[in-house]
Amino acid sequence: MSAIPAIDIRYLRVDYGNFVAVDDLTLTVPRGEVFGLVGPNGAGKTSTFRVLTTLMEPTYGEVILDGVDVLEDIESARRIIGYMPDLAPVPTDLKVWEFLEFHAAAYGIGNRSQRRERVAECLEEVALTDQREKWCKELSRGQTQRVVLAKTLLHRPSVLILDEPASGLDPLARRDMRTALRKLAEGGATVFVSSHILSELAEMCTSLCVMNRGRLLASGTADEVRSTLGNTERVLTATLLARHEEAAAWIAAQPAVHEVKVSGQQVSFTFKGNDDAQADLMEGIVRLGIRMRAFEEKRTSFEDILVGVAESNRRP
Amino acid sequence: MKNTRISAWNVWQNPIFRRYCYSRLRARGLGIQLLLFVLVSGFIVAMTNSIGVRFGSDPVDNARRALIPLLVIQGIILFVFGTAQVAGGMVAERDEGVIDYQRLIPMSPLAKVLGYVFGLPVREWALFLVSLLFTAWSLWRGQVSWTVWLPLYTVVVSSALLYHFTGLLTGTVVKNKRWAFLVCILLVFSLYTIIPQMAKFGLVFFKYLTITPVFEESLPGLLPASSGAAVRAWQRLAPTVKFFNLDLSEVVFTVFSQVGLILTFTVMLCRKWRWSESHLLGKLWAAGFFVWVQVLLLGNALPLIEPGTLFPSRGFSQMMGGFQGPAPSTWEAMAMSGIYGFVTLALIFILAGIITPSVDNQVRGWRRARKQGATSIPALSDGGTAFWVVLFMAVAGAVGWFIFTRGLVESRWYPGHIVPLRTLGYFIAVMFAGGVGFQTLLEGKGGRVLGLATIFVGVVPVMVGSVMASISDRFAPAAAWLIGMSPVSTPFYASGTLLSIAELPGNIARAVPRAFHFWLFVGLIVALWLAVQLRANRQKIAKDVLQVAATPSSQ
Repeated sequence: MSAIPAIDIRYLRVDYGNFVAVDDLTLTVPRGEVFGLVGPNGAGKTSTFRVLTTLMEPTYGEVILDGVDVLEDIESARRIIGYMPDLAPVPTDLKVWEFLEFHAAAYGIGNRSQRRERVAECLEEVALTDQREKWCKELSRGQTQRVVLAKTLLHRPSVLILDEPASGLDPLARRDMRTALRKLAEGGATVFVSSHILSELAEMCTSLCVMNRGRLLASGTADEVRSTLGNTERVLTATLLARHEEAAAWIAAQPAVHEVKVSGQQVSFTFKGNDDAQADLMEGIVRLGIRMRAFEEKRTSFEDILVGVAESNRRP
Repeated sequence: MKNTRISAWNVWQNPIFRRYCYSRLRARGLGIQLLLFVLVSGFIVAMTNSIGVRFGSDPVDNARRALIPLLVIQGIILFVFGTAQVAGGMVAERDEGVIDYQRLIPMSPLAKVLGYVFGLPVREWALFLVSLLFTAWSLWRGQVSWTVWLPLYTVVVSSALLYHFTGLLTGTVVKNKRWAFLVCILLVFSLYTIIPQMAKFGLVFFKYLTITPVFEESLPGLLPASSGAAVRAWQRLAPTVKFFNLDLSEVVFTVFSQVGLILTFTVMLCRKWRWSESHLLGKLWAAGFFVWVQVLLLGNALPLIEPGTLFPSRGFSQMMGGFQGPAPSTWEAMAMSGIYGFVTLALIFILAGIITPSVDNQVRGWRRARKQGATSIPALSDGGTAFWVVLFMAVAGAVGWFIFTRGLVESRWYPGHIVPLRTLGYFIAVMFAGGVGFQTLLEGKGGRVLGLATIFVGVVPVMVGSVMASISDRFAPAAAWLIGMSPVSTPFYASGTLLSIAELPGNIARAVPRAFHFWLFVGLIVALWLAVQLRANRQKIAKDVLQVAATPSSQ
């Protein structure tokens, strides 16, 4: 695998008059990753995507995709990029195959029969072969998203930039989309995907970042992001066969533990320590000779994290 | 599988063109329209011929009678429906949101522009071609010489392309859906209906942007023999276009003028397709376009001064049967000089509005300069100041205005009058105060301040002054002072003050020259002050940006 990152964003800034939409964003995405970008409305996701896709010139900063500076060599960059915008529009006056064949021709893919072959391949990839002759305007929301994904894949882009690809999709279609994206990444493409829904990205992505008010708040694996955003607190529940009160007293005396509750066989408490401390805690309960039937961990959800970020925007 | 690049000129293989062939040439949509136009065209041909048969007229004349109605229908198809389709289609692309896909496809901007300009109105071209079959039959039966129909249809096609480019430009540039359509209609109407009327006031070139001159020339050949001869006798058209010392065919000159404008529109569109935030024109192209218009205006006007056809009164007399009226009045020359100066100033305003960088442009320019290791923004880039280019246009415009005015005043029609060289200095001052003042205000203070200044300095004084002058002659001097405040009035005041032929009415004879000198002085001071302010402002932006940009990426 080449050492050149698939996406290299350096000190990116986008201003609209006096409003700073993206502020000093620096980010590197290695090849073959499914990288998620998440943030509340106004976080700067769409502006970042528009710069990445050469649709907008930033106020300053550099964006290098697969070694190509998108601000200096637009046409080469456009051959690398596959872009699927938010709400993925389709022309109302074309049939599915016409829409795809137009794009295949625009990307200069082979001759007519090779183009048809490629269109058929992409339709198969998104499981829409049977909708080939349908008018684009007659497709359901999910089908439209998949047709646009097929269009995005036509020229085998090495960097896929997908803005809210799962919005408006039912759970089954979301699952299919996730599978398709993972397959693409396994095939060597780098997928840069945005969403409002952090949990969805956490499931789909190998790594992700969180933006707010144009700034990067955290990036890394899902756990790293959770850790960076300062929300390591989790609710632990031990299901014990006996000596519940004794166990609760012992747990309450441990560091980083609070809000201990006993309910039937279960002792629940909030724990804010790291993973090692949590392992020590479990070991301690077992050493006390108390028989433990189950141990459950419930972390703060990604949704809670994002809500926290969004709410911080409302505060003066 | 190999990726191939399609040449921009290979329109037939252009994917955007083919995409519209798919969508707009479907039998379902095209069929009814095609049937309608075939029926209407067939009806016209059948009716003109059957009426001729009934009255026993010459079959050649019968066939010719269908030509003008067919031409009108073809004009409606191409000029009205085609232009509306191009502007509306482009707006619809943006409205549907699919324009971003088109921006991203790795075709050259020129290929995209040509794909749209031929693709969007492809149905209208198909309808035109079908109705052309009826025209061809009528031309053949009417024994119309190819020297008549070929120039006419060449200009029909070039005019249609010009209109379509105009529609594409407005559809691309104007963001709002409703405004885009309105602006398109206004622009087409102004460019090809109102502005050509300037030809009657000495700016002859503008009429060659339309089909009118070639149509007028072809008209006798298209009509039945008797009425054609009558029209020919009445028209008394000049057989050629005078361009300095050259005699050019009307069709050649019309196509040449239209191609110049089409090229400029193409450049604008290509720039917008490359970066949607780009200026419509680069500084070099804007300056070249300005000089090109000046050369065409002068080249067409100067040769018509000696025969007198440039003057509205004599042009009208000659049109009405060759009556050689009295010499043109001094008022005519004064007004024509003022109009030339006004149009030149208006053109500077438009071009300055296009090439003047916003603060965002400047910030991007500085950042890029820094990235590339340069110490300043490249002078001709979008971020570079437009001051020098507008200054050049002001001087070039003043020179053109001076040449035109000198040609008029020192002609045989006004013996004994001369235009001294110092007039050129005044003309430069007028263009500097108006043009450079406009540009420096826009670049230094922004569009909002410029808009307010335009209303309160450019428009309101003229309106208030006009109202005052119409109340009573006693207010005329005060009105003259007030109107003189507006930069758009200065070219007329300059003509009224500086030309020896000027004969101003008694009540404003003193006020106009005084107001002109006073406001010109004020305008010059303001323009110079704005220029100094602009320099300081640009330096501040550069300093701010370079401070912010002093990050590791820029080291």
